[in-house]
Amino acid sequence: MKNQIFSFATKINRNHVQVAFALLALVLFVLGASAPSDGGWVPH
Amino acid sequence: MILLAAILVGLVAGLLLARLRNLAWTVPPLRKPWLAILAFLPQLLVSYLPARSQVPDGLAALGLIASLAVFLVFCWFNRRLSGVWLLALGLLLNLLVMALNGGFMPISPQTASRLVPADTQAALASLASGTRFGLKDVLLLPAQTRLVWLSDQFLPPREFPYQVAFSLGDIVIAAGAFWLMLTSGRPLAAFKKNQPEKPPRKNNDQMVKESEC
Repeated sequence: MKNQIFSFATKINRNHVQVAFALLALVLFVLGASAPSDGGWVPH
Repeated sequence: MILLAAILVGLVAGLLLARLRNLAWTVPPLRKPWLAILAFLPQLLVSYLPARSQVPDGLAALGLIASLAVFLVFCWFNRRLSGVWLLALGLLLNLLVMALNGGFMPISPQTASRLVPADTQAALASLASGTRFGLKDVLLLPAQTRLVWLSDQFLPPREFPYQVAFSLGDIVIAAGAFWLMLTSGRPLAAFKKNQPEKPPRKNNDQMVKESEC
């Protein structure tokens, strides 16, 4: 089990983390900067 | 959520374009991505988590505006990437109209009525102007709205299965996200086919000398 985790961890290199981080940033930017409304929450 | 489709469509188009031009597609090299995550945190608290209804409106408005301001800083650090200027423009349009209308995106009751199911129409009609609606919106009559043309006023056709109201800023942000993914943040010239270099233009003196020979 330990070996499997270690093997998985070594396959994830710095580039993969950077790519995931950049994509996450872009998704959060689009979600955060835009303000569309689908009426998902109507206060009562 | 609908705007995330722009990222996906841009990704598919970018992969196709890169394949056509025999280039490798890469994720846009965004600088300081942690800033975008930091900027999103206040919105997570005031708009997305279930506890949002407990947050006072004033604090929620402050959180939204502060969040957009940090997103603007993120754009500044990434200004050299193609498409980011469109993202920044859309963000500025939304920030402007929200800041001028109490910190929330204004939406008219008429537009909002298209977004709620029939059994909620009565509840919607009973809401006073100035009541929060949806994630980041506030119900405001058009006459009470500053810069109404920047508010959530666009709707898809009634036949469209997913009804959503969006602003001009949202459209520009979607275009920016599409462009950024399409080009990987590179200038468009990088995708043009290699053309043979044109010989340098001769100036007038050279042309005179040649004619004398």
